[in-house]
Amino acid sequence: MDICSWARQIASGSREEALSEILQYMQLEFFHSNNMVFSPELEVSVRSWILTVGEVDRGVDRKKLWHSEIFLLKQNLPPLPRRLFEFTMLSSRIMPRAAAPVRSALKAHTNLPRFVQFSRAYASSADEKDLVIIGGGVAGYVAAIKAGQEGLKVTCIEKRGVLGGTCLNVGCIPSKSLLNNSHMYHAIKHDTKQRGIVGVEGVSFDLAKMMKAKDTSVTSLTNGIEFLFKKNGVEYLKGAGSFVNEHEIKVDLNDGGETSVSGKNIIIATGSEATPFPGLEIDEQRVITSTGALSLEKVPESMVVIGGGIIGLEMGSVWSRLGSKVTVVEFLNQIGGPGMDAEISKASLKTLKKQGIDFKLGTKVLGGDPSGDKIKLQVDAAKGGKEETIEADVVLVAIGRRPYTAGLGLENIGMELDERSRVIIDQEYRTKVPHIRCIGDVTFGPMLAHKAEEEAVAAVEYISKGYGHVNYGVIPSVMYTYPEVAWVGQNEAELKASDTAYRIGTFPFSANSRAKTNLDTEGMVKIIACPETDRLLGVHIIGPNAGEMIAEAALALEYGASSEDIARTCHAHPTLSEAFKEAAMATYSKAIHF
Amino acid sequence: MNATKVLRQATAHAERMPSIRFVGKRPIPEHIDHTPKPHPASPTGALPANFAKHGSHTSFSSYRDHAQQFGPLRKTIHTANIGSTPGAALGDVSPPKGQYFDRHHLPGKFRRTAISVDEMEALESGGASMVA
Repeated sequence: MDICSWARQIASGSREEALSEILQYMQLEFFHSNNMVFSPELEVSVRSWILTVGEVDRGVDRKKLWHSEIFLLKQNLPPLPRRLFEFTMLSSRIMPRAAAPVRSALKAHTNLPRFVQFSRAYASSADEKDLVIIGGGVAGYVAAIKAGQEGLKVTCIEKRGVLGGTCLNVGCIPSKSLLNNSHMYHAIKHDTKQRGIVGVEGVSFDLAKMMKAKDTSVTSLTNGIEFLFKKNGVEYLKGAGSFVNEHEIKVDLNDGGETSVSGKNIIIATGSEATPFPGLEIDEQRVITSTGALSLEKVPESMVVIGGGIIGLEMGSVWSRLGSKVTVVEFLNQIGGPGMDAEISKASLKTLKKQGIDFKLGTKVLGGDPSGDKIKLQVDAAKGGKEETIEADVVLVAIGRRPYTAGLGLENIGMELDERSRVIIDQEYRTKVPHIRCIGDVTFGPMLAHKAEEEAVAAVEYISKGYGHVNYGVIPSVMYTYPEVAWVGQNEAELKASDTAYRIGTFPFSANSRAKTNLDTEGMVKIIACPETDRLLGVHIIGPNAGEMIAEAALALEYGASSEDIARTCHAHPTLSEAFKEAAMATYSKAIHF
Repeated sequence: MNATKVLRQATAHAERMPSIRFVGKRPIPEHIDHTPKPHPASPTGALPANFAKHGSHTSFSSYRDHAQQFGPLRKTIHTANIGSTPGAALGDVSPPKGQYFDRHHLPGKFRRTAISVDEMEALESGGASMVA
């Protein structure tokens, strides 16, 4: 079927009119070529457009379609063509610039206002979006793409100027680049002799190039999201959004100027920022957060990390591998933060110490003085003890993150926050104003990108389908140190606290064939299951590739598998995942190779 | 035939029944309770007292119930006034045990109508007074 010939048929004898018809068709083609709609939907929309524009608007037979008939026609369209149905309004924005001179001519020919009037009478005005998302981080951009796929008219507001938020720009992604490359350097330097690789003495690195490699990965990923926005028909506004009232959001555009959008639904996805340490001013040069730690210009001689959580240990590892003398000061007696199993945490502490990182556990930082050549930190045993001073060139503050809602104008809509500045939500991510939802770091739950992603999909499904799903009991955590640490489900301490009976099975990587061939045998898999039903309760892994292996555990946990289910599933040989299977065997009966 | 059944049962038991259940494509539940409840990851496990009492509605049907009828019959508004609640909701009408209602407690319309002087005359005269 040739859509173009329809347009020609409809066009009357007049040459200009025929031209304008074809031009309008080209606008639809533009949607099509940008993958904004699927072709069957496009076909439907072109048919309906020709019916209305061609017959109603051009006055060939004005009485043929009544308002109610147009309304009905529109009602029966799937969401995307319905959107296109109003394209006469939309097109003026989406039309390519090159076509701009013809645009005015086109308007003059086709007497648009009458048609616009029809649309306005029955549909929302073009400026009101189905969904407005504040924040283009993992939560925001995933929600925007999902909403586009569900056929909602969606706008995403981001003030950073690039999409992806903390995760892509100054978090997970750049840190993984540095961790991977610094690990390769470290491995070449210290771990080649026993493998029979020679001639790598005097290996060194170029920090500037390492940073450039990091930036390249970041840019390609953030650009990828912009492409996905276009593909899914998401409108992207670069600027800072703030609530004017419950439906309207003012956007201070980064390029200057101001605009406003209103939405039937609004999602707050503004994320989080690093919690500053009281008394130490962050300058991102000497006193740094994770953001500064990703772009130091030279390797500091010594570095103190305040906070032995995942961020502190990962960034500490990077700079320690590159030659810094790293000391981690942690208030608790355990590293890895909440959720990490005590046994795994101890094993991790042992290996990290072996790699040359110093630890001061159960130690409180009283204050710091950055005035001298070196930054002086006063530390004290957490339970009271002898005060001492430690010195460092750079201090990394990694004591956690806090929700970020500054400048959002929450006071204009009477939104209250809880005692830790989180937006309070219910089970469907609704805030106290039900059409405003909130997801990601800025609300409850662990501050993890994959959790935000799950919530984004669920929140959009609650809007479009009335039902969504996130299982907060099965959110994996991974620490990308060497060896990696990963866990999902409950740990021993949590089970003890809730008085739940459990059974444990472990398997060391030193008994795994693939780990042996890799000469990489540190770590173990620990599986916790219910003694009565054998149902999996938690999985904790420290060792090579733990971050990938945890996916299998999360899947098993989500399905409610028993340890026997895993143990009876065939795993390829020789792989690291056999250790996972053997740990499951050890849980319900006995491991073969240990 | 019984032997076959027993054998079949025996094989069924000998095979391991995985506790894992593949549920297939997840359907949307038929009945979803949309009333606000605490978020599963909420640290307090409770919603603040003023949550979602905002004037807006959590679902379209609650909005429709609210908007269709104005006045005391509006379904979403419950006041203590008589008329806003059905009579059945006001409770049992029978007296407590051991107590009895007197006819005199009833409103005037339930009482016997007093006979007028003319009526008495009519009764006594056999109706003749009305004709005369």
